[in-house]
Amino acid sequence: MTRCVERLLITGIAGGQGRLVAKRVADSFAVSGVDRAPWEGHPDHITVHTMDLRKKKFEDIFRRERPSAVVHLAFVRHFRADPMVRHEINVAGTKRLLECCATYGVKKLIVLSSSYVYGALPESPYYMDEDTALNVSRHYPDIRDLAEVDTLCNTFLWKYPDIATAILRPVPTLGYYVHNSIGGYLKLRYVPTIMGFNPMTQFLHEEDLAEAIGRTLETGIRGIFNVTGPGAVPLKVAIRETGGIAVPLPEPIARNTIDSLFRLGLYHLPPGAIDFVKYPCTIDGRRFREATNFQPLFTLEEIFSSVRH
Amino acid sequence: MAKTSKTPPSERPARRRRAPRGVVGTGGILMHDEPGGRILLDDPDSPENDDLQPSLDPGEQVAHSLGALSDLAGGILQSLAPRLIRDLDHELRERIRNSPIELNSFGYDPWGFNPDVARRTLLLFALVYRYYFRVQTSGLEHLPAGRMLVIPNHAGQIALDAGMIAIATVLEADPARPLRGMGEYWLPTIPFFNVFMARVGGVVGTPKNARDILEHGEAVIAFPEGVRGMSKPFAQRYQLQEFGYGFMRLALETNTPIVPVAVVGSEEQAISVGNIKPLADLLGMPAFPILLNYFPLPVRYHLYFGEPMEFRGNANDEDEVIGKKVEQVKARIHGMIQEGLRRRRNWFF
Repeated sequence: MTRCVERLLITGIAGGQGRLVAKRVADSFAVSGVDRAPWEGHPDHITVHTMDLRKKKFEDIFRRERPSAVVHLAFVRHFRADPMVRHEINVAGTKRLLECCATYGVKKLIVLSSSYVYGALPESPYYMDEDTALNVSRHYPDIRDLAEVDTLCNTFLWKYPDIATAILRPVPTLGYYVHNSIGGYLKLRYVPTIMGFNPMTQFLHEEDLAEAIGRTLETGIRGIFNVTGPGAVPLKVAIRETGGIAVPLPEPIARNTIDSLFRLGLYHLPPGAIDFVKYPCTIDGRRFREATNFQPLFTLEEIFSSVRH
Repeated sequence: MAKTSKTPPSERPARRRRAPRGVVGTGGILMHDEPGGRILLDDPDSPENDDLQPSLDPGEQVAHSLGALSDLAGGILQSLAPRLIRDLDHELRERIRNSPIELNSFGYDPWGFNPDVARRTLLLFALVYRYYFRVQTSGLEHLPAGRMLVIPNHAGQIALDAGMIAIATVLEADPARPLRGMGEYWLPTIPFFNVFMARVGGVVGTPKNARDILEHGEAVIAFPEGVRGMSKPFAQRYQLQEFGYGFMRLALETNTPIVPVAVVGSEEQAISVGNIKPLADLLGMPAFPILLNYFPLPVRYHLYFGEPMEFRGNANDEDEVIGKKVEQVKARIHGMIQEGLRRRRNWFF
């Protein structure tokens, strides 16, 4: 084999996590990226295509650049967009990407799923392993597309044994660059919680997730992996440590209020998300750590201080 | 904070605000004098907080006042509490601190166990243990060092036997071994109780939880008789009911020693003359016993911890094979109960 630099394509490169991954792997790969949003002032050695995954021209990137590795981060995880569009971008976009990977000889594919796909159910075990069913649609149908994407990639994993497909399911990720639902929730001044519930919650620092993705690329592991951080604390400890004040609401009031506010566009999470502040959705990250020797660098205190306001 | 160097200085959090204890509920009784500070509250006297105090918004000021009030109330209550209670509390604190349970820097174990909440619960049971039931415990030296399944008989209409065994392993075993309980699947749906259950060391009894917690080296208690044992009428006292097989399969799968425990005295705490099953079904309760006394009698409990029993075999064997092993445990507990009954002079001493 010739020792030429491997080319890596990152979808969703302009997002916080995409930029961190690009920075992490820039020394060992020739990096290019795709995103619907532009990345102003990106480093010169990184090529960025501003493009939608669903567009026909997306395939041209594969034809021209022939990436040997792909990191798929281009998902809509917020609820500001039309649910139909969200579903299409996530599911149809992923399907499109998978087809390109199979056609153009990609060797490694990493897909960033999340621990949310397991759902937060009262009867779930505390530390769910990768074989747990993806139950999220039972109470939180709004993000079922993420479970569908996960399943789609799982099928791809078994269908193409020559491609090192790794599906990563990280716990909620916090940090300065990443903007996500849990971060938005914890950054509220007064944080609504459900009265009488205080589930254990795991967190991971954004830099550690970038490191985890980097290690997955370097080791070329294949399979589904939960990625966990330094540990778990009760939700209200996280709220306190990030500088918020927990406001416990009785569940019926919380459900109705959040439902109305969400419909009016005044709150960023649908009522289905309530289960994630009622029941733990904690996962077992041993498989990934054994496969890659990954150890999170940032402690819980540091993770919380990175989003403290 | 220095490690999050990604954060530009202007974006850095200006201060660590003091947690409003009254709101988050970590303050209160017996908590404010925590030496060493397991509950990590920020130092309210640090200079960077002082100069920012005036900028607190009204909500936070209320929270601060409530926190201070709750601290004050806790302090008064504590100083009023009899010396006996304070000493017992101190003893429990020391013993839990020296137990092998590992906590993270916020004072929780991976399943949500918190020694401070657990201690306050145990305190109540410890008072009952020492001064009401005057429990006599023997055989704690048999407890193995790592993981174990504690398997007792179950009786007494109210599950106080579980509490007494849990106290015995904290107060009298060396080192203290806080017991972990396995709960029904619907328990986490009960507001407040679910949090309490996790803080005192309970988890939902899924196979994965049981395996994880045992592999972590914890001591798990299970009652294979279940409600059958607890709710049986007085006439059937000390007759072991049918054992479930789940505990044996779990022990085989995880290679865990079984510690048989005989509880003598629990049967006489509440005298049951019958059980209205239809009413229990109607109310969704496991049993609706008719008792002569709904407040437990001050009987004396005797706890006998037996030598650990090790079993080998396939956890997925047929019920017949597993059943034979279960019978061995049952026979051992039966023997210990009979021995205990022979030694006992009467119900109360």
